[in-house]
Amino acid sequence: MMHIERGPWREMVNHAQAVYPNECCGAMLGRIDGDNKTVSVAMVLDNVSQGSQAARYELRPEDLLKADREARARGLDMIGIYHSHPDCDAYFSETDLKNSCPWYSFVVMSVQKGTFNHANSWLPNAEQTHAEKEELTWPES
Amino acid sequence: MARILIPTPLRQFAEKNDNVEVAGATVGEVLTALTTRFPDLKKNLYNDEGKLRSFVNVYLNDEDIRYTGKEATAVTDADTLSIVPSIAGGAHVG
Ligand SMILES: [Zn+2]
Repeated sequence: MMHIERGPWREMVNHAQAVYPNECCGAMLGRIDGDNKTVSVAMVLDNVSQGSQAARYELRPEDLLKADREARARGLDMIGIYHSHPDCDAYFSETDLKNSCPWYSFVVMSVQKGTFNHANSWLPNAEQTHAEKEELTWPES
Repeated sequence: MARILIPTPLRQFAEKNDNVEVAGATVGEVLTALTTRFPDLKKNLYNDEGKLRSFVNVYLNDEDIRYTGKEATAVTDADTLSIVPSIAGGAHVG
């Protein structure tokens, strides 16, 4: 299961609400202890998707490399990626699945009419055919 | 020997190492040496056709090997390789 601490959670919600009606994206760093993941740092990253970003996001690999280096420098683990779904539920879409990577947790945040509504965490498989839901908690959940 | 940085989720397949030094004159040779030493890493990095999975990018220091000669890119002992995923998505289908 995954828990997001208050500081990074507030940053993620603020980020998702600030870029609404577009999708936001970023990286989550923290500690992994067996199946327990605790996110202590959120890294806001650019959505570099060309064209409308209302229903698309794309991360620069260079930014993910930077996030990995940042995690190493702080003695943390890179745990996952977050992104938002403006006016959509926090499901893992076909587009999300086809452009995913099975190594990380994917937190999807639903933002309804500009306000955070709910979130889920997903674990996609290597074949990009299925994503398993992962238990997710945050301070107000 | 060149150094390869192992992403957190793949360390379980590399005896918990966060980086590994392996021999090789090219990126391809280094990756082969890595996956020979840690066979469980192979299916995480390569598909059934033996090609790097679509979401796997390899960086030699700060450069994507796609733009430097791919797996034939020369590697020296001073070099560091990183394994970086491609990630995108979107709420709507299509
Ligand atoms: Zn999505």
